[in-house]
Order: sequence, then structure tokens, then C-alpha cells
Amino acid sequence: MQLVWLEARDFRNYREVRVELGAGLTAVAGANGQGKTNLLEAMYYLCSLVSPRVSSDLPLVRAGADVAILRGEVATSGSRLLIEVEIRASGQNRVQVNRSSVRRKRDLRRQARAVFSSPDDLAIVLGDPGERRRFMDEAFVANWPAKDGAAPAYERTLRQRNRLLKDWEGQVGSGGPPGLEGWDAELITNGVALTELRAEAVERIRERAASEFEALAGPGGGTLLVAYQASVSGDPLADAFAAALDSRRADELIRRTTLVGPHRDDLGLVVQDLAARGFASHGEAWGAAVALKLALAGALANEIGQDPMLFLDDPFSGLDPARRERLAGGLAERGQVIMSVPDLAQVPPGAAVLGVEGGSVAQE
Amino acid sequence: MFEGPIQDLIDELSRLPGIGPKSAQRLAFYIVKAPAEDARRLSEALVAAKDKVRFCTECFAVSEGDRCRICRDPGRDPTVICVVEESKDQAAIEKAGVIKGRYHVLGGAISPLEGIGPDDLRVQELLDRVQRDGVQEVILATNPNLEGNATAMFVAALLRPSGVRVTRLASGLPVGGDLEYADEVTLGQALEGRREM
Ligand SMILES: Nc1ncnc2c1ncn2[C@@H]1O[C@H](COP(=O)(O)OP(=O)(O)O)[C@@H](O)[C@H]1O
Ligand SMILES: [Mg+2]
Ligand SMILES: [Zn+2]
Repeated sequence: MQLVWLEARDFRNYREVRVELGAGLTAVAGANGQGKTNLLEAMYYLCSLVSPRVSSDLPLVRAGADVAILRGEVATSGSRLLIEVEIRASGQNRVQVNRSSVRRKRDLRRQARAVFSSPDDLAIVLGDPGERRRFMDEAFVANWPAKDGAAPAYERTLRQRNRLLKDWEGQVGSGGPPGLEGWDAELITNGVALTELRAEAVERIRERAASEFEALAGPGGGTLLVAYQASVSGDPLADAFAAALDSRRADELIRRTTLVGPHRDDLGLVVQDLAARGFASHGEAWGAAVALKLALAGALANEIGQDPMLFLDDPFSGLDPARRERLAGGLAERGQVIMSVPDLAQVPPGAAVLGVEGGSVAQE
Repeated sequence: MFEGPIQDLIDELSRLPGIGPKSAQRLAFYIVKAPAEDARRLSEALVAAKDKVRFCTECFAVSEGDRCRICRDPGRDPTVICVVEESKDQAAIEKAGVIKGRYHVLGGAISPLEGIGPDDLRVQELLDRVQRDGVQEVILATNPNLEGNATAMFVAALLRPSGVRVTRLASGLPVGGDLEYADEVTLGQALEGRREM
């Protein structure tokens, strides 16, 4: 899959910009704060309708403007997509693909596939379990865009059930709040769906991440083990979930919150036989973060039969020179890759170069 | 902010469900610019609706009189009750033409986040009807979304001791959706394919 060209107007620090992109590796080069990440963000947003950095669209619109416009063309093995997006500082965005409106994100996302890696991904390795749950959810939505409702559905069930427990005025000995069994059933249905999706996504990433990490670390550089640590497991899962809820019921009534379910999942990351969080060096942690995203891109390529677009924001920032070289060496075989680097000296050999300065781009 | 009556109108309109400040403003200006005749008809319809529309004392659907058209109709089977969240769901199901029995409008769905609990719904009234009228089947046609499903489970559990047959719409409706958005054919199939709870 290839982003062939992109136009952005009033997006972040860009007033107006157009870039053409090749099928292979492109390096976006420039000093800090010039707009490299913003440019990669624009490209990724065009394909996925979400920012890798912010959950609200407001910061995407250039300060002083009301609407940001992104346009671009994506070539896939079977089709060409002209994507046009209007991002409004307030109010509904508008999205068109090949001149017809697209109502749901998934309708675009199942056609244009992209993976974004950035230094923020360090949080997946070093942050709290919520960051890893978010990564697992991102991973299954990237693979199966039609499942993008699974995490929100579970989240809402959980909030309903927690509120019910919290507002309940009865005594612990007197049974639970009326209606709890209805929420149990919904928690189980939605929790099982979410657990199964996470399990399948991790299964597809696990071994790929281990080999990406080893390729990056080089001989003797260590190993990365990835494992899904589900709050509930068993077969059939729904029965195990019901049994787990049953056994924690008394506790839940005392603590007035839901103690069982995928909101308590984690993703185990072990580097050199030690939990990455707390033990990994900065370089190792960054290596693991990049490896997870490269593994996701690999899983996606396998799922859809072509390479997704791969965006690597500052991938060299946390790596020693030998690791940089090993990472750069492998980028030629990954389809279209667009990376950012802080200076021209770091542009890998053979890469096309876009020079970014103060919100304008020089195509070289 | 505008001055005087136009702002009052915007404020009133924006209190309505589903109407944000922008839509309220658009509606308000439309009304102000429309012929005086139109505005008067609208205001009369509002007042008349509020004055004359009642809720059926039997099933709690909107009704012109004490009892609604369906509850008064001797041709409708009193031993089958189709339970819905709102009157508009009843209207949607009527269009599908599958239900030969009567209805019961709960007045919403259980939603702790919105502060709606079992006591806010007409559940006890349903239990009373089931006892009193020798009801054979209760079809739970709450919306096929989270709150609708949880409500159906809750009501089913309360009905269980009475021994009445309790059924739920078949899946096949758009999950997470509202009944009122389903087309008649799909809705009809979901009702006919209902399963035991
Ligand atoms: N909505 C916006 N309007 C105007 N400028 C913005 C907006 N959002 C970010 N910027 C500016 O963009 C710059 C950062 O660009 P970025 O792409 O993150 O830099 P880098 O080249 O280091 O990756 C900052 O100077 C920031 O002020
Ligand atoms: Mg940057
Ligand atoms: Zn009635």
C-alpha cells in the first residue's frame, strides 16, 4: 500500500503543503519543532482518521484557522483511493473516499491500512497496564477494523456496572443491587468478545515481535517475550468468566467496583528474562516499543496480503549507532516506509528526502 | 447570545433531547422567519399535545383517551404482551404487523449512568398485568443494545416465578441499534424468530 501524494491545509503548523511520495523509504528531515511529526501525523490521519498523538481533533487545526483539510491518494494492490478529510475545530468532520461520503471510520480503515510508531510508544513498555491494553486494542482494530466497537462496548458496560455497584445503598449481606445480573450477562458477553480479540491479536504479534527485537538488538543483544495476561481465561471462556464473577461477588459488593474482566488485562513484556517495565534500559525499552509496532505491521501484511503504510517517527532517537544501522538496513523490504530524522546525516542510504523547515517542505 | 425572545426560544429548544445549541439556533431562526400562521400552528400543536395526550392506564403507551386503541380492541389477544421501552418502539413494531397481542411500555431502559433504575420503569405494573390477565407469553422487545439487554434480563428474572413464557427478539437486528431504525421486514423476522429466555 502506498500513499502517493498528500496535500494539507491549515493542519498543525502547515498553512499549505503538498508532497509526493515514492513506494519505498522516505526520510523526513529537519530540526526540532519544524513539523516532521506533524507531517507524519497528517499522513496517518488521512488513512485512519485518528491521530496517533491526541484524542481530540482540536489541536490538529492550525491555530487561528477553523478547518484543516487533508487530501491524498492511496494506491493499494487492487484499487486507488482519493481520500479527502475536513477536520473542524468544532463540529463534525467530513470524510470522502473517491468523492462519496464515509460515515464510519471503519469504512475507510478497512481499505487504507497504516501503522504508526513514535517515541510515545515507550509508554507501552514502561507505562501502566492501561497503555498496553490500548496497544492490544489498537492491534486488533488495525487487523480487523470492523471490530472497532468491541472496546467501547465493554467500556460502557463496565461503567454502567460500576455505577450500579457504587450507587447501591443496600447492605452486603442482603444480596446485590437489583438488576446486577443483567449487567453480569452483558459484562460477560462483551468481555469475552474483547478478550478473544486481544488474544488473537497478541498471538499474531508475539513471535514477530521477538524476531524484530532480536534483529534490532543483534547477536547477544537479548530477547523479547510477549504474552497476553488475560484477567479471565478458561474454556469455554464465558463459563470461566461467570465463575470468576461468582467467586469475586462478595468482594465486589464490599469494594463497589468490578474486579473481573479485560479492564484488568495486561500484556507481559519480558526483556532479557526481566519484566521490561522497571528493568529494561532506555535503549532496550525503545527497541521493544519499535519491535511491537514492526510486528503489528508484519501481522497486518499477513492479514491483508500487502504491506501496510509504515510511519516511523524519530525511530533512531533511542538507539545506539549499531541498532540504527540494523533498523535502517531492514526498512527496504517493508513496503512504503516514511520516517523522520533530526538531521540529514541520519538519512539512510537510498531513501528519498523531504526537508522540513518551519511548516514548509522542500522535495529533494 | 441574542436579545430577548429569540434567545428565550433558542434556550427552550436546546433543552429538547438531541437538539444542541447550533440546531436550536437554526430552528429558532427558521421559526421566526416563517409566516406567522406556521408559528401559530406549531404552538397550538404543542399545547394541544400536552393537554390532550394521555398515557394508556393499561399499557402506558401514548393515547388520546384513558385506554389506547390497542387495549380497547377486543380482537387483540390479551394473553400476549410485547414489552417495549418507549411508545415509538410500539409504533415501529405495529408497522411490522406481527404482534397480535398487546403492549407494555416500560418508559425507558435501566441505565445506572443516567440514574435510571428499575423503580423508574413500569415493571411492577407489568407483573400485575401478567398475574391479573392470565398472560401466556411476554415478548421482551427492548432495544438490542447494552441497556435494552440488561433491562430484558432484569424483567425476565422477575417474571420467572410466575411461570409465564418469556421470549426475546431474535438477534439479526443491528447490534447496539435502536428498534425504531430497523426496517419492518427485519423487525418482523426478529419478532417471529424470538427465542426463550
Ligand atoms: N494546531 C497548531 N497550530 C499551529 N502550530 C502548531 C499546532 N500544533 C503544533 N504546532 C507547532 O508545530 C511544532 C511542532 O511540530 P512537530 O512536527 O511536532 O516538530 P518536529 O519537527 O520536532 O517533529 C511546534 O512548534 C508547535 O507549536
Ligand atoms: Mg517530532
Ligand atoms: Zn394501552
